[in-house]
Amino acid sequence: MRALLQGKTGRAAAAALLIVCGLALTAQGAWIPAKAILAQVLLERAFAETLASGHPQKPWPWADTVPVARLTLGGESYIALAGSSGQALAFGPGHVEGTPQAGEPGTAVYAAHRDTQFAVLRSLMPGDPVTVTRSDGTTVTFRVTGRRVARWDASGLDPQAPGRHLALSTCWPLDAVTQGPLRLIVEAERMEQP
Amino acid sequence: MTPSLTLGLRKPPRGARLDPLVLGLLTLFAIPGASRAATPPPGSGELVLRGPDGTAPVDAPRLMTDVTVDVSGPTARAVVTQAFRNTTKEWVEGTYVYPLPEDAAVDSMKLVIGERIVVADIRERAQAKRDYEAAKSEGKTAALTEQERPNVFTNAVANIGPGETVLVRIEYQQTVRHTGDRYSLRVPLVVAPRYNPAPPVVNLVGEGTTTAAADPVPDGQRITPPVLVSAKHAPVNPVTVNVTLKAGFDIGALRSDTHKVKIEETGPQSRSISLADGPVPADSDFELVWKPTPSVTPAVGLFREHVGNEAYVLVAVTPPEGKVGPRSPRDVTFVIDNSGSMGGTSIRQAKAGLLAALDRLGPADRFNVIRFDHTMDSVFPASVPTDQAHLDRAKAYVAALEASGGTEMLAPLQAALKDASAEDTSTIRQVVFLTDGAIGNEDQIFSAIAAGRGRSRLFMVGIGSAPNGHLMQHAAELGRGSYTQISTIDQVAERTRELFSKLESPVVTDLTATFSEGGADVTPDLLPDLYRGEPLILSAKLPRAGGTLTLSGRIGDKPWTQTLDLSSAPEGAGISKAWARAKIGDAETARITGKMSPDAADAAILKLALGHKLMTRLTSLVAIDATPRRPAGARLTSAELPLNLPAGWDFEKVFGPAGERAGPIAPPKVQRRTELRRAAAPAVTLPQTATDFEIRLWLGLTLLGLGLLVARTRRFA
Repeated sequence: MRALLQGKTGRAAAAALLIVCGLALTAQGAWIPAKAILAQVLLERAFAETLASGHPQKPWPWADTVPVARLTLGGESYIALAGSSGQALAFGPGHVEGTPQAGEPGTAVYAAHRDTQFAVLRSLMPGDPVTVTRSDGTTVTFRVTGRRVARWDASGLDPQAPGRHLALSTCWPLDAVTQGPLRLIVEAERMEQP
Repeated sequence: MTPSLTLGLRKPPRGARLDPLVLGLLTLFAIPGASRAATPPPGSGELVLRGPDGTAPVDAPRLMTDVTVDVSGPTARAVVTQAFRNTTKEWVEGTYVYPLPEDAAVDSMKLVIGERIVVADIRERAQAKRDYEAAKSEGKTAALTEQERPNVFTNAVANIGPGETVLVRIEYQQTVRHTGDRYSLRVPLVVAPRYNPAPPVVNLVGEGTTTAAADPVPDGQRITPPVLVSAKHAPVNPVTVNVTLKAGFDIGALRSDTHKVKIEETGPQSRSISLADGPVPADSDFELVWKPTPSVTPAVGLFREHVGNEAYVLVAVTPPEGKVGPRSPRDVTFVIDNSGSMGGTSIRQAKAGLLAALDRLGPADRFNVIRFDHTMDSVFPASVPTDQAHLDRAKAYVAALEASGGTEMLAPLQAALKDASAEDTSTIRQVVFLTDGAIGNEDQIFSAIAAGRGRSRLFMVGIGSAPNGHLMQHAAELGRGSYTQISTIDQVAERTRELFSKLESPVVTDLTATFSEGGADVTPDLLPDLYRGEPLILSAKLPRAGGTLTLSGRIGDKPWTQTLDLSSAPEGAGISKAWARAKIGDAETARITGKMSPDAADAAILKLALGHKLMTRLTSLVAIDATPRRPAGARLTSAELPLNLPAGWDFEKVFGPAGERAGPIAPPKVQRRTELRRAAAPAVTLPQTATDFEIRLWLGLTLLGLGLLVARTRRFA
């Protein structure tokens, strides 16, 4: 390494390599939140069309998922996608497979990245409202009942639980930089209709 | 008649106020006598189950069942009495999973403790469960009857004292099954072990974790009780069956292919039937078949019942048989189940049935054969013309089939319903599905049929000693076909012939029913198409039972009309219950096929169930004794009562080699699958929701800085 750095050309090459790698990683890193913001714009449009037409609309032609609901929480509003695969989560909150639609009997579960959309879970406290507008146009309001941390494979969430529940999940701890097994779960219960 | 059993009652209760049937059953327990083949040999107290704390093993309560059925014309009223006998010195709770007919309207349960009778109330399921649990912890004797499937029920009895026997008595109403001139009554006696498909697993690309999708059998645990290793244990759960038959017409032939019966002639229209050799183990369904004497052909059955201000009618009409015209060419896909549960006699029946069916194909027909266990294959890539070469190949393929593996029914069903020429009206597309239906994901199958049936018609053929009648009946209804039952190898020829006469004869279509009086609430709301010999059965709720009912439709291409006078209908018992049960079935179907939202369907079911006091998926029967009996501090142990393997089944084919596991009761493989799955995914698994963009950003910027630094150093050097 030292021998390489001592040569003039070697040093130039090392500098170029470092700069190129640095730029690539920076761009990749910056692309993740940028993609999340950009996608929400397209999703917002697709969801508006879905509500108007009554049929699921893809946000962009090659998308493998469709917008299913609008989540309004902590003063922010996001369009959620069907499924919680890595691809879907890159763009917005995902409606976890095998859980009912929000407002139906059982526990509806949405997951999103802690550093993009669901960073907002940090400020969500018991008593706060969470509103879900479904693709069929129904709007359901939930009230946050509690927050807890659990392992990803021991969430304790039963999709068939009696009652109508909502659970929002993201990775925990919120400001960690590496991926881990823990999840923050914010639980909410449907408010009685007036 | 006092068949005796080795199960003895320590202290026979003074049953002065008990009705005769209950007394009779208690007598069965009270008289110790020579042991019969049906009962466990003395000293076989090996039915040891672990207590809830996993420490002290306890004997499971012994069970004895009596079934008494009164058939009166089109309906049957059955009383099932289960006696739970605690042979231990502990207080126990026993849980027993048992079958009833798929159209049973269960409306009554009584708990008999000593000489006290507690009549059960119908309550919403969750409430009933809470009340039961509360009584259980207070030391009160209590019984809870819950519906797991329309044909699978669970009885739980808490706080059975040491050495005590407690009776649970369930009553239900059902309609008599009727095809051509054959009337039949089926009493299911054992729930076959079900195969519960695992939920599909979705891999999160790039994240290395998986998330489980919806479990197709969320209640798998509730329908997989322990099963006895048939090689090591004498069968348990002895049953007696008594039928009083009032046919409503002169009876010709009467027989049972499934059990040896003793028949007593009590009149030209009535018989009394009991098991010839006393109690039998609960390991195969009881079927009774009767026919009218050749001179009478009762084509119309019309009955009514008044309940409160409302009238209910039940109509069974067999349209005349149409002339068999020129046959349209048919495209038949045969599907045969060769999973492990079909091992033993079932696969032989299925193969014989399928081979007989292949012989009935005409030269203009096309066909294909699909077989499945947890995998599937078809003989030909698409349907082929019926010629000798193709037939020979298909027959060789079928003859070589062996039963083993799981039962993944969805994929072969979808493959069979897939129609390459959906717009073709010159041919008739039929799917003949041979299976025992030993699966737990019925609802998934039903929605697949409703979504994918197209122009195909689905004919279910139920195989073996204890097929899943709910799956068969309902799949055939949704698939606009019919259900044929093959219980024994002797029935293969007769029932296959019957099935083919249905496949080949013109269908009665476009059926409508019009009541002259307004306000009729009719079920089924959409009348099905009928095949040769099948009756049209409908029931209705009316403001008053008067006026006429006009039925019309087309037989082949000829119109058909028949008018019935309702005011002359004889009174029948239980018609209102049959109507409500059918309406509940309609609502369940609407929920599964998406015609009704789950909420609306549940609300409709609950209203009918509570109004007519019927047990459903949402309502349970609970009976609680008034006074606590278990002393404070005395332990209560719980045990699930083991079931027999259905007769003719091969234990190893279903559960793997028995030698693999120690202990007298092997946990079934299907059940173990469930447990394993539950252990791994007890709840929703949450996806990875952390991105590494911060790391990348920081790493990228550091590298960038380092690169610039190196570049600068070079300039200064």
